[in-house]
Amino acid sequence: MPETTATPDDIEGVLKARKAYNEDLTRTARKGRLWAAPIGLVAVLAALPLLQFTGNYNYLLHLVLYILMYVTMASSWNILGGYTGYISLGHNVFFCIGGYFSGMLLAYFDISTILTAPLAGIVAAAVGFGVGLITLRVRGPSFIISSLALLMVVRILFDNWAFIGGANGVTLRLMDLPVQWSKLPYYYAFLVIAIATITTSYRIKHSKFGLGLRAISQDEVKAESAGINTRFYKVLAFAISAFFVGMAGAVWGEYLTYLRPNIFLIILVAANMVLMSIIGGKGTVAGPIVGAIMIVIFNEFFLVTLGSSEINILATGVVMVLALLFFPNGLVGTLANKNKLPRFLDWD
Amino acid sequence: MSQFIQILILGLSLGGVYALMASGLSLVFGVMRIVNLAHPALIIAGAFVSYWCFTLYGIDPLLSLPISATVLFFVGLLLYKLVFEREARNAKYSEMTVLLTFAVAMVIDGFLGTLFSNTQRITSPDYATDAFFFGEIFIPKGQLYAGLVSGAIILALELFLRFTRIGYAIRATTQNRAAAELLGVNVNFISLLAFGIGVALAGAAGSLVSFVFSFFPAKHWEWIAILMSLVVLGGMGSITGTVVAAFLLAVVAAFVGAWAGATWSTMTFFLALFVILLVRPQGLFGEKPENA
Repeated sequence: MPETTATPDDIEGVLKARKAYNEDLTRTARKGRLWAAPIGLVAVLAALPLLQFTGNYNYLLHLVLYILMYVTMASSWNILGGYTGYISLGHNVFFCIGGYFSGMLLAYFDISTILTAPLAGIVAAAVGFGVGLITLRVRGPSFIISSLALLMVVRILFDNWAFIGGANGVTLRLMDLPVQWSKLPYYYAFLVIAIATITTSYRIKHSKFGLGLRAISQDEVKAESAGINTRFYKVLAFAISAFFVGMAGAVWGEYLTYLRPNIFLIILVAANMVLMSIIGGKGTVAGPIVGAIMIVIFNEFFLVTLGSSEINILATGVVMVLALLFFPNGLVGTLANKNKLPRFLDWD
Repeated sequence: MSQFIQILILGLSLGGVYALMASGLSLVFGVMRIVNLAHPALIIAGAFVSYWCFTLYGIDPLLSLPISATVLFFVGLLLYKLVFEREARNAKYSEMTVLLTFAVAMVIDGFLGTLFSNTQRITSPDYATDAFFFGEIFIPKGQLYAGLVSGAIILALELFLRFTRIGYAIRATTQNRAAAELLGVNVNFISLLAFGIGVALAGAAGSLVSFVFSFFPAKHWEWIAILMSLVVLGGMGSITGTVVAAFLLAVVAAFVGAWAGATWSTMTFFLALFVILLVRPQGLFGEKPENA
């Protein structure tokens, strides 16, 4: 009878061949990727403030800054909601925590939030890690409910915490730059944060960690039995996604020059993060970016034409219902399924 | 001692209202596995029906309760047909529906807010500010009537579920959807009907809410977590459990409120929700869910 048991040498050979094959695959995929698009986009965005030499484009800068902030938040939400499949409807809690942490440092020690933003991110991530240990024990609808409850709890705490101004909030100092340049520090801060978030999101998606997260979103029990430490993976994803949202909150607070629970902790902010990721394409790198651009412009259009925030809530809700019913995979996801995704959007 | 009894009574009478507010939510989850985040928004819609009946035509909210229940029943049928029916085949059904109901809640909130603006309103029939006095103890008439009416409605619902053919079908669908279908239950029709009844219960609860609490369109976000905590504590889908949980948490919240202030009384519900999810995710009366 011939020997059928594989020797360690055989296995090593197979593994080596597989590794070579995989590397080959990634190389061809990389070759097909259009690096010019993102690099060109960043260059244009970095050069955009030069417009200020020719006139007053503060509104345009504000709009781009606002989009960059939501790109950060939606991409960040996507790490948990898109890759891992745990949908959080209370993610603006970390936005608020980041905003207040840095805002308080600014109010008491006069340190710009742009410098303390990473610290705010770490605080938000630490809170996220702690909360995740508790709430990520449940799955599906129960997790969604617990995220809403978290939002309510934090809202009550911040509304009643006298040290940080309670429901009336705190006023922060104004920048002493001339009006023409006053938006620039925040603009570049958000640009850097957005790039960092997207890079992280890309790196996660193309790593073993990201593969584990996607396995969790497909079938957690099987992922666990395949040897993935699902609990650690989930909680880490939660913390990472809280980190960038916290950083965005920190800079946003100083940019607005005041902190108040009802600018950070309203349901519309959370809904926007979810909606942008879904409408762009949940679980893709480019999706939340596309979604953020679409929704911010759409919102701005509604604000200009219709005014009042109530009708804005109505419009956001209607768009969300339609998107969920007819485009559950989002723009990027739907196009990818039909093999019609333009190359500059194909970052997966 | 009399203070203790006083707080207990206030807690119990509020518990009755909470029980009705949450029972529709529980019914809908039981039959369709839909976590209806739009339920509190629909309660507010019901409250508005009663509010306008009272303000425009002077109809007592207790009498306009059937009106708002009927109106909301048809709203429920429409919602199910437009939004939820097509989602039934989705693989990620229960997560999808949570997001969908969240979006529907925003639509209702925005719609009511646009129409009526976000100002505090309350229906004020005579009894809403009156009370029965027994020595040192008083029972507010509004809350007592609301508690009694909601008790009667829940009893009627329970009898309906236990002793009618449609009730059997609804309970069978709750227990095992596939088996019910095999035995000839028209599961789609039952889902439609149960959703309608669930939303009608929201309308009925809204009528009671309209004179017990002051309300405004955006208030439902606060109630979502409160009602969810009741449903989760009672065990998702168990109406009996929901009712028990409603009384339990309402009484605890009343004591917390008396001891630490009104702000922290709402906190009771949210913290309870976390503790339940941690300690006993299936709730007091629930069976272990298949996906946890």
